[in-house]
Amino acid sequence: MKGAMTLSRVLAAVFGGYLFTYAFTAALARLLPMAPGDAMIVATLASFLIYALAILWAFACKSLWRMWGGLALALPLALVGFWPQLMRGPA
Amino acid sequence: MKPQTLTQSMSWLHTWSGLVFGWLLFAIFLTGTLAVFDKEIDTWMRPEVPAHQVSQVEAAQRALAYLEAHHAGASAWNIGLPTERSPGLSVSAGEQRRGGGVQLDPRSGERLDVRETAGGGFFFRFHFTLDLPRDIGIWVVGLAAMVMLVLLISGIIIHKKIFKEFFTFRPAKGQRSWLDAHNAAGVLVLPFHLMIAYTGLVIFYLIYMPAAVDAMFDGNREAAFGRGGHGGGEQHQRQGGRGDQVAVASAELTDLAPVLAEATRVLGPISGLSIQNPGRANARIEARPVLGNRIELTKGMSMQFDGVTGRVLRMPNEGRPAQLTQKVMAGLHFAQFGGYPMRWLYFICGLVSSGMIATGLVLFTVKRRRRPDAEGATAAWLYRVAEPVNVAVVAGLTLACVGMFWANRLLPVDLAQRGGWEVRVFFAIWALSLGHACLRPTLAAWREQLGLAALLCLALPLASFLTLEEPWAEPGRCLLELTALACGLLLVWTIRKVRPRGEEAATGRPSRKLAEVN
Repeated sequence: MKGAMTLSRVLAAVFGGYLFTYAFTAALARLLPMAPGDAMIVATLASFLIYALAILWAFACKSLWRMWGGLALALPLALVGFWPQLMRGPA
Repeated sequence: MKPQTLTQSMSWLHTWSGLVFGWLLFAIFLTGTLAVFDKEIDTWMRPEVPAHQVSQVEAAQRALAYLEAHHAGASAWNIGLPTERSPGLSVSAGEQRRGGGVQLDPRSGERLDVRETAGGGFFFRFHFTLDLPRDIGIWVVGLAAMVMLVLLISGIIIHKKIFKEFFTFRPAKGQRSWLDAHNAAGVLVLPFHLMIAYTGLVIFYLIYMPAAVDAMFDGNREAAFGRGGHGGGEQHQRQGGRGDQVAVASAELTDLAPVLAEATRVLGPISGLSIQNPGRANARIEARPVLGNRIELTKGMSMQFDGVTGRVLRMPNEGRPAQLTQKVMAGLHFAQFGGYPMRWLYFICGLVSSGMIATGLVLFTVKRRRRPDAEGATAAWLYRVAEPVNVAVVAGLTLACVGMFWANRLLPVDLAQRGGWEVRVFFAIWALSLGHACLRPTLAAWREQLGLAALLCLALPLASFLTLEEPWAEPGRCLLELTALACGLLLVWTIRKVRPRGEEAATGRPSRKLAEVN
């Protein structure tokens, strides 16, 4: 049981953390007031620090609920990042 | 993992990801440290290339004479010029830009028979691909770099009183000393660790995190960098190369001396030239700078001249500020700037980092020798495995690296695919070291493998002396062997620290029993 809890935390940190970072980077690139090419670079450069912090968050959280709550912020971030694609609908 | 305080959970994370990725990280850091001097290792591993005082212009003219005599009809010529870091002159014909070329004697322009070798390039490639298929390797190493960042930040959280601990070194106290050494090495070059892990990720940043490209440019990287970006230049070149060979009138190639002088004025020292359509009216000369005339990584930067008139056709691209930021970060990782003082600084910092990882790995097992089953059956099994794997990764890899230098001197010079055999020797030594570590008691395995590595380092000049006629004609080769001597002494000092004494003697005995169980 303890092993399963640990495993779920590791998976949440690695994959949940990556998804969160992916969404965060997309949203940040869209929101930065710069030329798209520059915003892309700046947001991507920031992403590695965000991923590291997301992993630490997944292990620092007292409860699994809080951990998933934090990582679930990826959804609204992804909405911001991919808004134009979503509006266009499936091609 | 039980719910705990922040320090405890960070400590757990630090310990376990440190063990699982520490082995990988040590291999990446040690080979990366060697890769700082990749060109110098290349020079040492190609002892047939003579020392000389030939200028780049003279060398280029000799290369041209050779190419005109042997590859008059080729669509393109490539010349690798001698530089501060490597005395070799190489030429090739056709579209290939590097590798597979012919080495020339810069003094006479005649073909040299240089032994085939994996060279310093092997350590460089291993550093970022682990000798796996390139894409897989890049992802594995990227994951390790990410874990390194996490390890560093969690380490800072664990050791809040970082500077107080830094000044409390307790030597010759067994486990305590390993911990103190680990912390001291960690703190001493903390900025270097953070910089090197982060900038390592920045090099392939869009491969690891394509989110922004996906969101802003539908995943199209060429569009992201505009027309002047990565893809555009190459396409342009290929068109130039395909230009009908028959239709274009022949024309004399311009004098290379003013072209080289102008290219050097704009780009700094030049590493090579490629000439498209040599001998024709549409000839183009492209000059590439030596990496590291500035901190910004100048990979792929070049300047183009008209091959007949010598006029400048294209100046090097100046990047936008954001792009420059990325290139400066990548450049910080590559350590091509600042010349030899900077290279030595990176080498020493790299050694300290490797030492920090090694002490961390050792600490993990030293700590658990007394009560290996305190954290459950799986954990106990891991501790038993960890001891021999530690020896094989830390001492065995060191041994394999020195062994490769020896293989370069001892393998028959005309062996087919000699470079591949050097790599095979490297991996064979590494595999043998794991077998040896499993069979011998842990402490003995440490001492024997480190001892052999030290011996091979100290005796490296002998390998050159016995197999070469003029082993130290080129001063760079002599310097490399002096560095090997210093590393050998460092290893001897390390062996003196790895012995049962005081507290360690008490914990050493159970560990030997553990090893026998294996």
